[in-house]
Amino acid sequence: MDHFARLGLPAALDLEAASLDRAYFALQRQWHPDRFVAKPPEERARASIEAAALNDAYRTLKDPLSRAVYLAELKGVELPGDGKTIDDPDLLMEAMEAREELHEAPSSEAIDGLAAKARNEMNKAMADLGSLFLANDKSAIRKTLLRLRYLDKFAEEARARRMNIERSRA
Amino acid sequence: MAYSEKLIDHYENPRNIGSLDKNAEDVGTGLVGAPACGDVMKLQIKVGPDGLIEDAKFKTFGCGSAIASSSLVTEWVKGKTIDEAETIKNTDIARHLALPPVKIHCSVLAEDAIKAAIADYRAKAQKEEPKEAAE
Repeated sequence: MDHFARLGLPAALDLEAASLDRAYFALQRQWHPDRFVAKPPEERARASIEAAALNDAYRTLKDPLSRAVYLAELKGVELPGDGKTIDDPDLLMEAMEAREELHEAPSSEAIDGLAAKARNEMNKAMADLGSLFLANDKSAIRKTLLRLRYLDKFAEEARARRMNIERSRA
Repeated sequence: MAYSEKLIDHYENPRNIGSLDKNAEDVGTGLVGAPACGDVMKLQIKVGPDGLIEDAKFKTFGCGSAIASSSLVTEWVKGKTIDEAETIKNTDIARHLALPPVKIHCSVLAEDAIKAAIADYRAKAQKEEPKEAAE
């Protein structure tokens, strides 16, 4: 069973956070270990397997990027896993230049500006994904997701640098 | 997690950080990334007229093991021919730095980066030859 089906939701890129939460919490109650303490061991084991699978589904679908990656995999788009490298020059040059810019950013304000730019790029790319999924354009989906991974990493690094600056000020 | 002294040394005092002119005829540039962890690595070699790698530079945005792996590779390739440099294996890098299993992929990135730099240098050298012959 895929993560969407487990939560009783349509396999879609756009998922309202509220309906995802509602589906998750209802099922979580249903499979909660407290309800199975007095049950036979097989049933207890089943409940704990269900609860774990449910948590996994929720974690995967809650974050829009991880949801998009998962949906792409369901559609047969393969993304490089751990230890796999890519050599797409446009994507990597963009990522390298952005990280250099971040590394050299002189102030928190400058970092915030770069982070805002990256967020904007992420929103645009996420919006593009919607139509790429509709068109089932696998190679463009793959490319866009890889770019989103790098933009996401950039946002994470920007937050880390921001914290370092604030810490050194305090 | 305990890291080896060699790894920490390369991380804290990375060798050969920087850039070479990527448009120069005698410079090969390898740009590779590991999207799963968001690392990006640039490794460049400058090949002298005698066919030996006379300079190597890198720039890596990634974890400490990725930085140490690329630093080590730039140190290893200097003075080697490109054929020799091409034989560097990620397992040699991982062993030398005693990378923990979860960081082996960082050495894969460094091996791919040097291979890509060599391929770029060879592609440039090949493009040069027919042009010279036509002149």
